[in-house]
Amino acid sequence: MAKTYDYLFKLLLIGDSGVGKTSILFRFSEDAFNISFISTIGIDFKIRTIDLDGKKVKLQIWDTAGQERFRTITTAYYRGSMGIMLVYDVTNEKSFENIKNWIRNIEENASADVEKMILGNKCDLEAKRQVSKERGEQLAIEYQIKFIETSAKDSLNVESAFYTLARDIKAKMEKKQEASNPAGARSGAHQIRANEQQRKPTSWLSRCSLL
Amino acid sequence: MTNATIQEIEGIDDYWGPAFRSIYEGEGHEAFVQQLDERIKQHDKEIEKLCNFHYQGFIDSIRELLQVRSHAEELHAEISNVDANVKDTTDSLCAKAEELIRARRVELNIAATIEKMELCLPLLTTYSKLKSQVEAKRYYPALKTLEQLEHVLLPRVGPYKWCGQISADIPRLRQAIQDASMADLRDFLENIRELSPQVGAMALRQTQEMLGRSLASIVQNKKDMAVLGIPTNITAGPQCPHELVDFSPLHRCLHIHSVLGAKNDFIQYYRSQRKQQARLVLIPASTNLHDSIVGVKNYLNAVLGFFILEEHLLSAGAGLVSKDWLLDMWGMSVTKVASTLRTNTSLITDPTLMLSIKHQIVLFINTLKCYGLPTDPLPMLLQEMAEHYTEVLMQRWVGVFRDILDNASFLPIEVANQDQYDGVMDTFPYDGDELETEPFPRKFPFSTIVPAVYVQVKEFIFAWLKYSAGLGLGGGRRAAAARHSASLLLSRSFTGCLSALFRRPLPLMQLVQIIVDTQYLEGATLCLYEFISNITGSELVTTQTAGSMFQAARDDAEQQICDKLEKKVDEFLDLENYDWLLVEPTGQASSFVTDMLSYLSGVLTSLEQLPERARVAAVRAATNRIATRLRNLLLDPAVKQISSGALDQLNLDVIQCEQFAACEPVPGLKEGELLEHFASLRQLLDLITGWDWSSYLHDVGIEGGKYSLVTPRDAATLLEKLKEAEQKSSVFSVLKKNERDRRKLLDTVLKQLKQLQNQDGS
Repeated sequence: MAKTYDYLFKLLLIGDSGVGKTSILFRFSEDAFNISFISTIGIDFKIRTIDLDGKKVKLQIWDTAGQERFRTITTAYYRGSMGIMLVYDVTNEKSFENIKNWIRNIEENASADVEKMILGNKCDLEAKRQVSKERGEQLAIEYQIKFIETSAKDSLNVESAFYTLARDIKAKMEKKQEASNPAGARSGAHQIRANEQQRKPTSWLSRCSLL
Repeated sequence: MTNATIQEIEGIDDYWGPAFRSIYEGEGHEAFVQQLDERIKQHDKEIEKLCNFHYQGFIDSIRELLQVRSHAEELHAEISNVDANVKDTTDSLCAKAEELIRARRVELNIAATIEKMELCLPLLTTYSKLKSQVEAKRYYPALKTLEQLEHVLLPRVGPYKWCGQISADIPRLRQAIQDASMADLRDFLENIRELSPQVGAMALRQTQEMLGRSLASIVQNKKDMAVLGIPTNITAGPQCPHELVDFSPLHRCLHIHSVLGAKNDFIQYYRSQRKQQARLVLIPASTNLHDSIVGVKNYLNAVLGFFILEEHLLSAGAGLVSKDWLLDMWGMSVTKVASTLRTNTSLITDPTLMLSIKHQIVLFINTLKCYGLPTDPLPMLLQEMAEHYTEVLMQRWVGVFRDILDNASFLPIEVANQDQYDGVMDTFPYDGDELETEPFPRKFPFSTIVPAVYVQVKEFIFAWLKYSAGLGLGGGRRAAAARHSASLLLSRSFTGCLSALFRRPLPLMQLVQIIVDTQYLEGATLCLYEFISNITGSELVTTQTAGSMFQAARDDAEQQICDKLEKKVDEFLDLENYDWLLVEPTGQASSFVTDMLSYLSGVLTSLEQLPERARVAAVRAATNRIATRLRNLLLDPAVKQISSGALDQLNLDVIQCEQFAACEPVPGLKEGELLEHFASLRQLLDLITGWDWSSYLHDVGIEGGKYSLVTPRDAATLLEKLKEAEQKSSVFSVLKKNERDRRKLLDTVLKQLKQLQNQDGS
């Protein structure tokens, strides 16, 4: 049976309520924008398949509710994630300050080798800006995480953010693969298997820790 | 002898023949001649003696005669003289007499002429009077004069030439008068055509005033007038609408024609003219009555004015208009009016315009009643218009609802302070006892659309009732109709908008909120009914509840929720990446299954606001989808071979799902209900992994058997795949004995299954 994809990456969007996580996801998955704010309840996901260096990569992107009351539901999804987008709103100082808390959250709940990226959203609202691009960059350097400013409304950098994160995950995965299996050339189906195997240790580990 | 013969001769005067004969024949000739001579001598002697005797006398006589002759001559002269004298005198006399005779004749002639002339004079004066009357257009007296002239005066006067002329003139004059009066009539008709809209307008105004009349307003009016110092009895202008029109030309014409003996012709003519006018009146002047109220007003005014005038003529008598004719005309006209209005109003999409038209028609009807004209198809028209009005309103409110829904966030209303809280509570009847005590921000269970729609429905009812006002309906009937329309609005228009909303993909939570919102709206229907009964002043009817008003919309929303969940399940299952030749199962469920189950339980808990029914339906749909998809995976023809390791892995995943189903993710499920969705898959897996072919083949076809849900075809399909995988893995290895046995058994079972399949097929 022919597989519909070569890789499956699970990504997670986190950040304060109202910073535009859902909008970013909506822009990326449907290439559309909805001005009205409808806060996400619990958790939702979208799937988009992208082409990365000739490989079909399925991105299952989880959109979490930023509101505190859903925190218990959302943290459960950290563990399986291979990449996490930390989103703040450049027009909202508080959301930027909270990025640190979100990073701590990741450290506590996600697997250690998860790829991360910081997004400063709503960069189209220059007049209302409270957080400068430099401060964002500074923070990213501090945590050694990639950073990019985006606008879901103007479709600015959204694609490239997801592609960058996906490419990083893919590179990391291939590096691991080569390390564990230097023989190299494999068919797509085998790679999937490799992928599974690669994920296995973490799963097992988490199981152990749970037990 | 001889003597005798002479005597004889002397004795006889004649017949001397025989005497002569006897002489002649006798002899005595000489004697006789002697005797005769003697006799002659005797006679001579006697004559001489006589002459001697008479001589003297004779001479005397001659002398006398000569004397007479002179006398006669004298006399003659004298007489001639007299005669000349007389002649002289009588000549002049005669001339005089003749003169006299002539004079007398002239005198007689003059008398006769005068007499005749006197007879002619009245004729002439009358004729001149007639002329002047005609000139002064006083046709009726002119006609009377004409009559007199013709029948009294003319026969009296002899057959003069000029009389002939006058009598020849009479028909001409009569025709002229008739023509002139006709012209007058035409002027009149033209005139009333222009005036009748004014008449109609005035009548309508009066009706309006009359309808609006109440004791208080009358008193107020009087007071106002008193204050302004206006005497109450001043009458400016006509009091009655028909007084606007001067009917005298018409009556004159009628009189003229009745004098002319053409009354019936005239009535016919008048009626046919009016009929034609009516036809003109009935065609609206502006072709688009639905554009503005002015057109309708003018139209109704004209029609009304027309018939008010006719009605007035009917009551004024004179037979110009008969009741039958009027009613006949009216019947024809009112149907036409109704159909014209119907056609025009059916195009209107502006409720305000419809209201004003309705008002005009109601006024029209009331005025008709005042004038005793039947209103018949018009109330029907009003009813039809009411339906159309409702349609129009609904159309409008569809727009309003669409706006509300388009701009709605479908999030529960959150209020930060008392003002906002009161704002919501003022617009929507919500029993917020519990909410009252909560600290701010308080959160209503419903979203903004609930109060918004509730307010709009109220607006709709207001607008709707505006139409039924003044129709003379009882409060109860109005309320019932309003309730009906409001329910219709909610159940049709609003639900329609909701259905339209569902056509675009909505987030799950919004769908949930819509379902919740519809429940609150339904709950508020009673308040709407109360509102209606308050407005209409009728009793509150509580029997009719609109329990399932939004059921269709809710079903739609539930279906959407189910579809959404199924879609999510599909998305998860699309992530499936089974290695169908797996040697050893990993010992734990596949990650897409665990992700999916945790996602589902998360979603299901967040659906807690939903009615139980909807949640159950959602979870059923999701579970069924999972079971179907997993089962399809196993039987997918694209998967040619399945190792028992892979089968174990799938079994493990199915067990996860079964656990999820067994622990009742939502309340209200029957025990084990969700597991039933997995039953067929479970039996198939159990059969294959348990290698329980003997009991399967034993029970096959029996109801309620352990594997009753597994068809021989499915069993065979899966078995083939297993066989393929085993053959592949053991191509090069030598089979152990028990493996050989197993292979043999497998082939036998396969054969039997094929047989069963064939049996079923045949």
